[in-house]
Amino acid sequence: MHDMIRLLLCAALVGAPAAPAFAAGAVKNPDTYTYLTISDADSMDPAWGYDTASDLMILNVYDTLWTFDGKSTEKLTPLIATKIPSKENGLISPDGKTYTIPLRHGVKFHDGTEMTPEDVRYSLLRFMLLDRAAGPSSLLLEPLVGYPNTRDDADKINPKVWDDVNRAVTVQGDRLILRLPHPYAPILSILATWAPVVSKKWAIANRDWDGTQATWEKFNNSSKEQSPFFERANGTGPFKLVRWDRRTKEFVLERWDGYWRAPAKIKNVIVRGVNEFGTRKLMLINGDADAIYADRPLWSQLQNLPGVQIVDDLPTMQNDPVVFFTFQVNTVGNAYVGSGKLDGEGIPADFFADKDVRKGFAYAFDYKDFIGDVLRGKGTQATGSIPNSMPGHNPNQQTYHLDLKKAAEHFKKAFGGQVWEKGFHFTIAYNSGNMPRETVCQIIKRNVEGLNPKFRIDVRAVEWPTFLDAQKASKLPIFVLGWNADYPDPHNFAFPLLHSKGDYPPYQHFKDPEMDRLIEEANSETNPTKRKEIYFKLQALEFEEVPHLNLVDEVRYRTQRDWVKGWVNNPVFPDAPYGSYFYTIYKQ
Amino acid sequence: MERLKRIWKQLKRKPMSLLGFGLIGFFFVVAVLAPVLAPVEAGSRDAYTMPQSGYGADPVLPSHEHLFGTTESQYDLYYGMVWGTRTAFKVAVKVVSVSVLIGVLVGGAAGFYGGWVDEVLMRFTDIVLAFPDLVLAVVIVAVLGPSLDHVMYSVMAVSWPSYARLMRGDVLSVKERDFVTAARSLGASDARILFRHIIPNSIYPVLVVASLSTGSVVITAAALSFLGLGAPPGYADWGYLISLSRNWIMGSSGDPFAYWHTVFIPGIAIFLFVLGWNLLGDAVRDILDPRQK
Amino acid sequence: MLKFALKRLAFLPLVMFGVTALLFLCLQHLSPEMRASLYIKDPRQLSQLESVIEKYGLRKPVYVQYGIWLKQLAHGDLGYSETAKMPVAEAIMSFFPATFELTLVAFFPIIIVGVFFGVLSAVYRDKFIDHVSRFVAITGYSLPSFVLGLLLLMVFYGRLHMFPPGRYSLDTDTLLQAGNFHHWTGLLSLDCVLNGQWSAALDVLSHLVLPAATLLYIEVALLLRITRSSMLEELTKDYIRTARAKGLPERVIIRKHALANALIPVVTLSSLLFISLLGGVVITETVFDFPGIGHWGVQAAEQLDIAGVLGSALLAAFLFVCANLVSDMLYAVVDPRIRVGGS
Repeated sequence: MHDMIRLLLCAALVGAPAAPAFAAGAVKNPDTYTYLTISDADSMDPAWGYDTASDLMILNVYDTLWTFDGKSTEKLTPLIATKIPSKENGLISPDGKTYTIPLRHGVKFHDGTEMTPEDVRYSLLRFMLLDRAAGPSSLLLEPLVGYPNTRDDADKINPKVWDDVNRAVTVQGDRLILRLPHPYAPILSILATWAPVVSKKWAIANRDWDGTQATWEKFNNSSKEQSPFFERANGTGPFKLVRWDRRTKEFVLERWDGYWRAPAKIKNVIVRGVNEFGTRKLMLINGDADAIYADRPLWSQLQNLPGVQIVDDLPTMQNDPVVFFTFQVNTVGNAYVGSGKLDGEGIPADFFADKDVRKGFAYAFDYKDFIGDVLRGKGTQATGSIPNSMPGHNPNQQTYHLDLKKAAEHFKKAFGGQVWEKGFHFTIAYNSGNMPRETVCQIIKRNVEGLNPKFRIDVRAVEWPTFLDAQKASKLPIFVLGWNADYPDPHNFAFPLLHSKGDYPPYQHFKDPEMDRLIEEANSETNPTKRKEIYFKLQALEFEEVPHLNLVDEVRYRTQRDWVKGWVNNPVFPDAPYGSYFYTIYKQ
Repeated sequence: MERLKRIWKQLKRKPMSLLGFGLIGFFFVVAVLAPVLAPVEAGSRDAYTMPQSGYGADPVLPSHEHLFGTTESQYDLYYGMVWGTRTAFKVAVKVVSVSVLIGVLVGGAAGFYGGWVDEVLMRFTDIVLAFPDLVLAVVIVAVLGPSLDHVMYSVMAVSWPSYARLMRGDVLSVKERDFVTAARSLGASDARILFRHIIPNSIYPVLVVASLSTGSVVITAAALSFLGLGAPPGYADWGYLISLSRNWIMGSSGDPFAYWHTVFIPGIAIFLFVLGWNLLGDAVRDILDPRQK
Repeated sequence: MLKFALKRLAFLPLVMFGVTALLFLCLQHLSPEMRASLYIKDPRQLSQLESVIEKYGLRKPVYVQYGIWLKQLAHGDLGYSETAKMPVAEAIMSFFPATFELTLVAFFPIIIVGVFFGVLSAVYRDKFIDHVSRFVAITGYSLPSFVLGLLLLMVFYGRLHMFPPGRYSLDTDTLLQAGNFHHWTGLLSLDCVLNGQWSAALDVLSHLVLPAATLLYIEVALLLRITRSSMLEELTKDYIRTARAKGLPERVIIRKHALANALIPVVTLSSLLFISLLGGVVITETVFDFPGIGHWGVQAAEQLDIAGVLGSALLAAFLFVCANLVSDMLYAVVDPRIRVGGS
């Protein structure tokens, strides 16, 4: 029966007119740019959004003080500000702690009202003071007041916060003054990507925080969906938010003709969530979509499609996948560690605390094969925690490579020879639904097991809730995750991945005081050359200690219709290179 | 012996029934001979994990090395199909037999005792029936993790109510029949009447529906695999294999059949398996029902 | 009749309570960290796990959370669905009409085609038509829905450019957003007609064709089979033989006598089919990008959006009781021998 279906379909596919819907030359929907994504946005509130989908929309509807120039992840171009502060032009004080930012006149919000310096001050304060659980507020709190949270561990509000933020952010005429407790090199990057300008009047009129001391504590960590910023926007950006239809998972944007610089080229933008790849592909071919999300494994499906263009070799700002070792595994009630002892049936809690064990794994991984097979060769081996799109990346840093002999040597040395003698058995869990991470685990399993028949590793897919639970309790001996940058600065890689107070080391129970020191030093160093040197030292130390395995500096590709013009790649933008800054895009 | 001969004669008159037996028999033989037909990889600790030759995404068409080609992520399709036969039987038979067992007990007791026992059991059955199946399956797997066992539990949990209802209806009608009244007047105990007289006489429709549904369990497992909740990655399971074809169904540009094997091969196996059980179910009904001659 | 209906409806709260209690029992096994995973999606948020747990009260024991949920329910508040990004009640009102519309468009063709070919197969038993229709039905049944869906999409949308995915096109979207468009029923095609927008109605219907066709091909098998076997049973009964002996034409026998009785199990199955379609068909919805209740329900379950799961379970329970009631009443219509409210 399947044959009959196949025959019928063959006839339909071959016999039907083979001409594509829109041949080159005829642009479908020339005023509307449609991008199909897979992720759901969380909120349009710039102080709340901490996920790719939300941040993409916020990027296009609001303006920050400045942004990155074209493709560059280092050079800035002013937006709400009129000049980029630097030591040379005197807008950064010699001690690096005071920033004077001249603000632009004649900027209008989407409701037609004029932006004032007070709006800018309010926006920064609001961004910091909302401090919703698992939100981005710490990104600005850390540099401006010196600590990352407004609430302590018992969830009580720190009484110093109000005074500290008001001291840090003030307005003098038409200039914004920032006073930092310590020099903080990444602050310019952070302000390029976070805390865009919102309208204080609009916020007050819509019953959001009124900007006063009396009400801020109630505002702190308040409800997402009750804020007017959740699904509505009144920004200064090149596009207005027409609506967010959460039924069909669709954002509709419209060009803001009152934009302070030349209006955007495209009139309408639609960003829609379509989960099924086959459906996205068909919509692209039919011209109903102008760009779609499609990752590396699907690359071969998008070749040679009429009217479809692929732009490849686009750098990213992430370090993914990364293989983390847990130095002190919680073995209580833990199904992943077997017997919990070094007896061949499990692993002890401090298994990965032994450097030779880690080095054994490091030499057993086939980096070339992973990049060649899974990423189709598109990417280069990582040389440290800092990816090659960042300053501070050292292309000449020594790395690990597949060397089974060396791996065996290290395993033989581990635990005074007991590892090799007794063997081990444990489980690697990865978050299901992620093919590259799954493959990483398979490679580790195959290569390490091949060294010694007493080495046994099971690979298991677990759902995200289970994974999170196990990870928090430090139950996973090895876990594979990744890091997506908050802003383009090496500190945003070094700190989360290597500092004992970062995002991963606490769960790994890994602490290296020398690394901590280097990271803090680099963070307050404003001379770029000196900073680079410190990061080079850090990554050399990283190579020696190998607390985790950095695998690849990946490059991505973008799939779009060939009538899409003006797209600029900048890995800083959320969802790059699939989503983008729509300001420069047009269809022709 | 006489009875068997009669049954055989009956079947011979219906080539469809023979086809049904033949198909299931074929699959059964493949399942039994799996270690011979697709030898387990040396050093592999789990026969149900398919061998992987590389990690590339694009499936490879059948060739000398891989009889049925490879799937996404380079699993050997031939190996997966052979051992998947075992999985299909394991899952289908386990799920149906446990569902039938629970259903027969619950429905039988409800129908037999009547009164408040009936009310309570049937209301509970209704509650489980009212439960959205897929949501329960998803929650179970989200809580316990993806594994074939958990898939089986969740399918079992939502399948038994139909059998319970069916059984209850049949027991209600059989209960009033003469031979039951006779047994009761002879002083037989409740349990004896229930197990020796009522259940054997009212179970036919349940058996028919069970044999028809056996094939569909595989479909449900395939659906769950599609949602990422079925067998763990790399497991030899037809449902998992066909869910791997998801991104390749459209082929590549210019050749919509570039990856036909990823859909067709598991698809045809599932189809024949379901067909076989359907025909078998018809045959079982024909044999057991004295009126269908 | 009315007393029967009321008695059945009184059962509704029990079912709803039972379903939700059962769900909470399953959720017992979830640690607060697992429940927090609904809000923590990105490794960048890992360090804030504790504060999320605090914020949403996830450390409270499950029975306390159930109590809170029940109390809210008593006030008519179904809570907020994180996966739908809207209150649960609003989510149901948004997604359910779409699924309902799809169900209606698919259901009647399924019944008509299934019963028609089922009768045909029974009457012409073991002949060519019997084998062919059973075969075709089984292919649909054994084909995973996403395979069929994607193939149909490839042929009709990809090649022939008809029947696009989604619920409606861009132009219709603008029309629906306009202030002067009245949403009388929530069934968009009907609403478009009521508003006099014929091309929009056609547009909505064209988006329903492929998902409905997919459902038709897959579900018709069961209906066909039940009709066939039930019809076969009837045709061998004594009263049919009597009618034949009396010389009544075959067509009359089939239509007037056998069919009505054969339809009893068909009614049961149809009501079960209707409920299952109403519950949403997540795979079909995913492939065709159709914003229905199936997709939302499963997504909520996957991400442990507990409010969402409970909301969709409540809806499912409600539909189940109603559909049961309707089918029981239909029994009485189809077979006057069945006394409603007695047995």
